[in-house]
Amino acid sequence: MFKKLIDKSASKSPWLYHINSGSCNGCDIELVACLTPRYDAERFGFKLAGSPRHADIVVISGPVTSQSRDRLVRTIAQVPEPKCVVTIGSCPQSGNVFKGSYSVEAPVENFVHVDVAVAGCTPKPEAIMEGLYTAALILKKKREAMHK
Amino acid sequence: MMQHFPVLAVMLLFLAAFLVEIFGSKNKVIRNGLTLLATTNALVMTLALIKPVMMNGEVISYWMGNWAPVSGYAIGIGYEVDALSLFFGILVTATFWLSSIYSIGYMNKDHHLGHYYTLFLMLSGSVLGLVFTGDIFNMFVMIEIMTFASVALTAFRNDSEGALEAAFKYLVIGSIGSSSVLAGVAMLYSQCHTLNMAQLSSILSGGLTPTSVVAFGLIVAGFGVKSYIVPFHTPAADAYAAAPTSVSMVFSGMVNKAGVYGMIRMVYIVFRAMDHSSVQMLLAVFGAVTMFVGVTMALTQHEFKRLLAFHSISQIGYVITAVSLGSALGLTGGLFHAMNHTLFKGLLFLCAGAVLYRTGTTNLDKLGGLSKKMPQTTICFLIGAGAISGLPPFNGFASKWMIYQGIFTKALTSGNFLYVIITVTALIVSVMTLASFIKVTQAVFFGQLREEHNDVKEVPAVMLIPMYIMAALCVICGTIYPLVSKYLLFPAANASLNVGDYIDKMMGAGYAEAAGVPTMLVEPVTFSFWNPVLWLILFGIVFFAAVIVILLGTNERGKILTAGEKPEAKYATFFSGEEEMFSQVGGSDLFWGFKKNWKGYYKVFTELHSGIVTDYTSYTVIATAIIVMCLFIFMR
Amino acid sequence: MQILLFLVKVLIFPGALFTACVGLFLAGIDRKVIAHMQKRIGPPIRQPMYDFFKLMGKETIVPARANKLVFLGAPIAGFISLAIVMLFIPIFGFTAFSGTADLIVILYFLTIGGVALIVGGSSSGSPYAGIGISREMVTMMSYELPFVLVLLSVARKVGGSTLAFSMNQIADYQAANGSLLFSWSMIPAAIALLLIIPAEVGMQPFDVAEAETEICEGPLIEYSGAALGMFKLNTAMKMCIMTGLFTSLFLGGIRTGTVVCDAIIFVAVCAVVTLVCITTIHAVTARLKIEHLFKFYWTVVSGLALASLILVWMGL
Repeated sequence: MFKKLIDKSASKSPWLYHINSGSCNGCDIELVACLTPRYDAERFGFKLAGSPRHADIVVISGPVTSQSRDRLVRTIAQVPEPKCVVTIGSCPQSGNVFKGSYSVEAPVENFVHVDVAVAGCTPKPEAIMEGLYTAALILKKKREAMHK
Repeated sequence: MMQHFPVLAVMLLFLAAFLVEIFGSKNKVIRNGLTLLATTNALVMTLALIKPVMMNGEVISYWMGNWAPVSGYAIGIGYEVDALSLFFGILVTATFWLSSIYSIGYMNKDHHLGHYYTLFLMLSGSVLGLVFTGDIFNMFVMIEIMTFASVALTAFRNDSEGALEAAFKYLVIGSIGSSSVLAGVAMLYSQCHTLNMAQLSSILSGGLTPTSVVAFGLIVAGFGVKSYIVPFHTPAADAYAAAPTSVSMVFSGMVNKAGVYGMIRMVYIVFRAMDHSSVQMLLAVFGAVTMFVGVTMALTQHEFKRLLAFHSISQIGYVITAVSLGSALGLTGGLFHAMNHTLFKGLLFLCAGAVLYRTGTTNLDKLGGLSKKMPQTTICFLIGAGAISGLPPFNGFASKWMIYQGIFTKALTSGNFLYVIITVTALIVSVMTLASFIKVTQAVFFGQLREEHNDVKEVPAVMLIPMYIMAALCVICGTIYPLVSKYLLFPAANASLNVGDYIDKMMGAGYAEAAGVPTMLVEPVTFSFWNPVLWLILFGIVFFAAVIVILLGTNERGKILTAGEKPEAKYATFFSGEEEMFSQVGGSDLFWGFKKNWKGYYKVFTELHSGIVTDYTSYTVIATAIIVMCLFIFMR
Repeated sequence: MQILLFLVKVLIFPGALFTACVGLFLAGIDRKVIAHMQKRIGPPIRQPMYDFFKLMGKETIVPARANKLVFLGAPIAGFISLAIVMLFIPIFGFTAFSGTADLIVILYFLTIGGVALIVGGSSSGSPYAGIGISREMVTMMSYELPFVLVLLSVARKVGGSTLAFSMNQIADYQAANGSLLFSWSMIPAAIALLLIIPAEVGMQPFDVAEAETEICEGPLIEYSGAALGMFKLNTAMKMCIMTGLFTSLFLGGIRTGTVVCDAIIFVAVCAVVTLVCITTIHAVTARLKIEHLFKFYWTVVSGLALASLILVWMGL
């Protein structure tokens, strides 16, 4: 029973930890828009957590500047398993308009494993919600894989 | 046979003091052996008295040189042990026994240890003698020995900063206290022509003359100085901080208990002044002010031992307030709290000593993270901190519960709003005590380890054993409270409220009745609301349930991961993504949100604690004058 | 049979399980209603349950700088003390252990819940936790004064001279004389207790200690997995206990006779109290600063409680 309850809950209460790795703030605003009454991500149990230790899903925005790279990797290492990494916007995937800059180290896949990537500059809140929800389902799969 | 025990316990301590000075100043084995022998002997002899005194209700008396009273007048010096004396005697002997064990480990880096043990044994003997004696002038003599031994021990590490200054303050203020006791005794002698406390009690039961009221005021003020109630508390903080920790423990465990004992003995037994509501109010106000000022000053301290010293002051405030109620509940609570204070404050001082022994500092701003290096000290400290903050199931809770009940019952029966204010003060002081121990916990044991303390180790076993004994007693006294109450507290409270036996044993049967000393029926305190055994069972059940639930899901539940030897990012402290660095929040100013609102109060009180001896002397003299005047005017 | 009954009382009703379930339910209601107040749909009422079980399934990381024993022991100590408190709060006519309940005991066991959070946070070694425990402790000092005053005025109003703080006596008094809330001299005290509840359970505007946006959840920062779940459960249980305490101090006196009905009414009343004092205040306020919080409790709330105490003392 205990196992069933935990397995069931695994996808129902994904807590987010948001890391801005040099983003222009556009994606960050759209992420916050997801929590507003219009989209209301809380109905799926999403909640912004204050510390990476509490998080299930790490949300990355921005093209990963070289200053923020180590900090990003360190913070993601501190998140307990099972965890998911979601990138928002084109920047973490490709570098977007910042590509080729001496201080930008995108794509983020080079340093951390990414589970869901939401593309767009900036993606719509609906798209972000879709991405986050997919990540929540992946969480459940990871949990089941860990406790076979 | 039994009647020789009290005097032997005291005399052997004094004898050992001289022998240590003669034979033990060079030889470590003789020194430690003699000290342990004398203190263990005192402990065993005192514990042997429990059966006749506490259980059978006897009073043990001994006339020095067999100078028994002649035609109703007590001329010789008599030792008399009733339940109250024995209760404090047990506290005193237990304290110096544990301290002498701790000293073996703690003092081994110091020189001239022969002098240390001589003074230590003289201090022990004098306090034990003070508690066991039945003669008021003998009591004064013991106070003098106690004061001077304490002064010398305070200055024992006179190469360290502030030790001589502390000793000087102690000397000045302590002498004022002794002098006012002496003045009171002299006035009393001129009135009653006797120095025996039993006889004094029966003579004074006819009513107090103006002279004896003044004598009473002076003696109360004198013992107030010895127990460091508030305007007299000034030397305590310095002395406790400067003395070696094994001595600080003795100071808070028995030297200021001697003051409390003297207060109870005088107020309840010799003068039997507790029927006067003015005396009750005066002591209650002094007690409440003491606990409040003590704890608020403790909140601002930067130094571990100074902080503990201010808490000693504050906890004595609880005892004095409880004793001032004049009811069996209050007195039982007060005695219980005195006993608990000896246990948990001794434990906390020993923990401070362990920290000082290994790190060489007690400055809260220079410590941190020691729990990884000294785990056993940390656990002992947490138990002590829980006990002093009155958290269940430790002993502090049981005694504080009784004190709150006592004060509020007093408020309801007397209809006096003052007692409601005192109840509120007592409850708030308890939270502030908790707060300041959270501060110490964070600043010393938790938080982050400093680089210079990387090679700190746990203290040796000889220092840990006394700590464990006290920690165990803290838990035991909190849970088997009814037994403690039945065999220790109730007889002691009963002895202080019923003086007849005390007088009769000394002066011959029927003496008290002839003098018209009333007897009072004391009911044992029932304790139906707080049943520690039930709580313990509940704790056990819920704990096992929690453990079972946690174990049930071992496969399903997430694993508990602990860091390995090699540093890994996963186990690093979160610094918003930065690399781990040293950043210790803590130390002296943890509660700025609180202190900001109390700026005005702290400004005044920090200025009052100026450190200037003349200021302190004037507080002492003024407060003595106020006590005498209040009693003279209102005690009718 | 006796032992079995004892076990049922401690573990199921009204002990650990009941408290935990009601607490999680109240937390769920709080989240749902606040969502509706903001014109959102909000999470399902069983969301706190999901949160708790999800956290149970995650890894618990003990940081390298933490003291393992204290770090993992603190949440369990808090859970035990809070599970025990509920045994001594009468559910209208029903008390688990009659004759052993006492206001001071409850006060101190509630304190243990707070101390567990503080000591646990402190043992994690994080500087954010250091700031968090400082604020948590100051919060405790702030609400303790008005709390004590409220308890004293209730004790005086009920007023036995020897059994001053007995919970059962309070329940009996209300059964005989009607709820204390409807005696006008007690109304300021009731308002004061309503204002104390959000600080005790750490809800806005009094959640300075766990401010997630400025100090990353303060004492909880290094906690993860099951240990964090225990702390979240403790908060929910505190919600149940505090609203239950308000119910039995000020709204007692309803006695249907059967335990099940009593319990259902009790939970309903607790939910209403939660809506009034936690949800509404949470929805309309922003976070205070710590020094303002202290000032607010020691002036406004203490003033209310003191007014009640003085009125009651004068025999009104």
